[in-house]
Order: sequence, then structure tokens, then C-alpha cells
Amino acid sequence: MSSALDARLIAAHEAGDKAALVTLYQQAAETTTDQRAHWFYLTHAYVFALDCGAPQAAQLHALLKAAGREA
Amino acid sequence: MTLQSDLSQVRQPVALAQGLPNAHYTDPQVHEEERQALLFGGWAGLAVSAQVPEPGDAVPLEFLGVPLLLLRDREGTVRVFQNICRHRGMILVQEPRKIEGAIRCPYHSWCYSTEGRLVSTPHVGGPGQNTHDTINRDALGLIEVRSHVWFNTVFINLDGKAAPFEEVHADLLQRWAEFNQPMVHGGSDSQFTLDVATNWKLAVENYCESYHLPWVHPGLNSYSRLEDHYNIEKPGQYSGQGSLLYRQITGDDGAIFPDFPNLSNQWDTGAEYVAVYPNVLLGAQRDHCFVIILEPVSQSQTREHIHLYYATHNTDDALRQKNAALWKTVFIEDIFVVEGMQKGRLAPDFDGGKFSPAMDGPTHCFHDWAATRVCALRAQAQQQTQQPAQAAE
Repeated sequence: MSSALDARLIAAHEAGDKAALVTLYQQAAETTTDQRAHWFYLTHAYVFALDCGAPQAAQLHALLKAAGREA
Repeated sequence: MTLQSDLSQVRQPVALAQGLPNAHYTDPQVHEEERQALLFGGWAGLAVSAQVPEPGDAVPLEFLGVPLLLLRDREGTVRVFQNICRHRGMILVQEPRKIEGAIRCPYHSWCYSTEGRLVSTPHVGGPGQNTHDTINRDALGLIEVRSHVWFNTVFINLDGKAAPFEEVHADLLQRWAEFNQPMVHGGSDSQFTLDVATNWKLAVENYCESYHLPWVHPGLNSYSRLEDHYNIEKPGQYSGQGSLLYRQITGDDGAIFPDFPNLSNQWDTGAEYVAVYPNVLLGAQRDHCFVIILEPVSQSQTREHIHLYYATHNTDDALRQKNAALWKTVFIEDIFVVEGMQKGRLAPDFDGGKFSPAMDGPTHCFHDWAATRVCALRAQAQQQTQQPAQAAE
């Protein structure tokens, strides 16, 4: 994860900006080459999408489920 | 260990009975018995449904120390859950808020739907792996408390063993069937809270009899005289008082509240005030109703939550505020007697008191209900202690 993205994630956490957290964790998942980190970040994106009722929740769930990482 | 209070005299007919002994107001052990027998074992008032007006609205509450979550789900159904995550027992919702999507535990982010289903368990099988063979989500939903909404009031049965609400209160539901219609909460100027240094039962006992009205509420004499009242007694369920001479409040400009539609003639000048056991006090009148939830904060401390309801949304602001002020005055007038009786329960030779058979029937009815339930709990406990002994013989 780039330091810039890391800083934006920390700022979004501090602000409680859940919609931003969904997007930023998705970006983190897309930019990492580490598979474990990829699913870790995608899980976070999904959880915050669930939390705030973001429309991405269904798509993120489908991705995780297809990979055997979500029920 | 405290000796059990003697309740045989309480369960006599009103002419012979004595009131509940002092221990029911001062002894922590008896308070614990009543917690189980009266408040957890019956249908207790928790809140009013207007506290969660929109889907997703969530309000954390405590009832006798039990953390609860009052919530209106996505479909609009009012639900009550134990306010804890099934993972580590963390409190889920700390302050009133809107649940936009899921209820996310702030500890490890297990997520629940507003219907209580466990929908996500992030990293439960390791980083990025959100399932595990031993985590059965179907068995790990939020723990729902039995609840029932009637008269805009959210009733709960915490031990889950009471008969259905409609069965327990069939008589009152029939009696007040005409008020089974939409009511509009008057809003922020139509609710208030009173903190009172008394046992919650004394607030019930005072509310359900009219005997005290001319002495404690002299202002009511002009329009609600003692001789215009009658007793309401339904053993085991509710008791209270009715008035044959209810007069509508009017504003300085002659404004009145619109009536609830389709009421029978009985309500033209009639009004009824009942205590729904254990802790809900209701008032029904042609143009407005009220709900009082008695929150038993401790054995000697009660918080009274008062809410006023009307037939329509567009009631007159000044009249609504005048009405709320009037009722607040009346309920504040009651504080010195319920606090005084609580202090009086520390007099060692008070025997529970002598009832007026003519005037105290509704209070005796409540005492009889309380005593019967406490006796049943004691009998059950005795049976349980005897069974292991018999098994060992």
C-alpha cells in the first residue's frame, strides 16, 4: 500500500467516513500483489459497505463468496 | 439471609388484607425476587414505539441493568435485542443512532442485520477468510427479547415464559378496543421524565386509586371530583380508576384537540386510567392519551417516562404545551407522597397498612397480583431445592 493511500485510510478512519473506507480498502485490495492482503482489504471494504449500507456490498460479497472467503 | 416476607395477609380479600410488607420496598433480596417474578416474568413496559420512528432507528436502553437494544428493522417492525455481540459480549450500540446498513460490533466487526441475523464474521477463519466450520451464523444471531407493541408501548417479556401478550391482556384489549387506532406522539414538548426516590410499585399504587385526588390534586376538584370516579379492578391483570366527568382542556382562544375518531358516547365525558402490571400506566380520553413507563432504576429509585398522544399531527402548539404542563404539574404533585411512602417503609412496625375496602380496591388488586407471583416463584424455588434432595435419597 502506498503511503498516500495509507494516509487517506487513516484519515477516513479518524473521520468515521465509512463510504470513503469502502472505496479506499477496495483500492488497497486492487493495488497489492499479496493475495492474503488482497482478501484482507476486500473484507474490510465489504464490512464497511455493510455497515453504511453502501451499494458495493452486494458486489463485494459476490467476490468474497466466489473465492470461498464468505458465506 | 433475610427471612421471606409473609404474604398470606396480602392475599386476603381487601377488607381483611394488609399491604405488601416493608421488605418489598427495602430488602434487596425481595427486590431480586420481584425482579424475576414481576418484571422479568411478565410483560414489562420498556419504551414507546415513537422512540424509533424510522426504519434503522436504534436506541440502547437498560432495564434493571440488562443492556437492551430497541430497534425498528428495515421492514418497519419494532424489535428488542440484548445489546451484545455473540462473539465476545461487547455492547453493540452505545448511543441512539440510525443503522444505515448493518449493526457492526465496534470490537471485531461482526455484522448483524436489523432483523438480528449474523451476516458477516470478518477474518474469523484467519486474515481475509470470513468463515470457519465451527461458526454457524444461523445459530449466532442477536438474542431477541420477546416484545409486543400495544397502545404505542413496547412491552417485553425477558424470561420468555409469559403467555402471549394478547392472551394475558385480552380483557384490557377488549375494554379499550376503540383506542386501537393510530395515535400521534405530540413530539418533544409532549414528553418528560421525572426522577423519583421511590420504589416503582408505589408509583403504581398511587396511580391506580382515586382516593388521594382531592387531597393531593386539589386543582382537579373543579373538573374531576372524587364522586365522579369509579374503581377498575381486573385481578391478575390491571387496575385503575375511571372518571365520568372528563372535560376537554381548552386553549386561551377556545381551541380544543380533535377527538379520536369513532369513539362511542361513553368517552364523551368518560376517561380511564389503568396500571397495566407491572410497570405501565395508561390514560385514555377522547382527545388525548398518555403512556407512563416506570423504569425501576433500583429498589428505591424510579424514573417515570411520560409521553402524550393525540389524534392528529397538526395539533395546536400552545394547547399541546399547556396540556403537557398541566399533566406535569399533576404528576409532580404525586412525588411527595410516593417518596414519603418509600421513607415510611423504613418504620419497623409498619405492617403493610390497612386498606379502605371502598377506595383502595385497585391498589389491593395490584398487591394481590404481586404477592401471588412472588409466592409462585418461591414455591418453584422450593420445589427445585427439594428435587435434588429427593434424588439423593
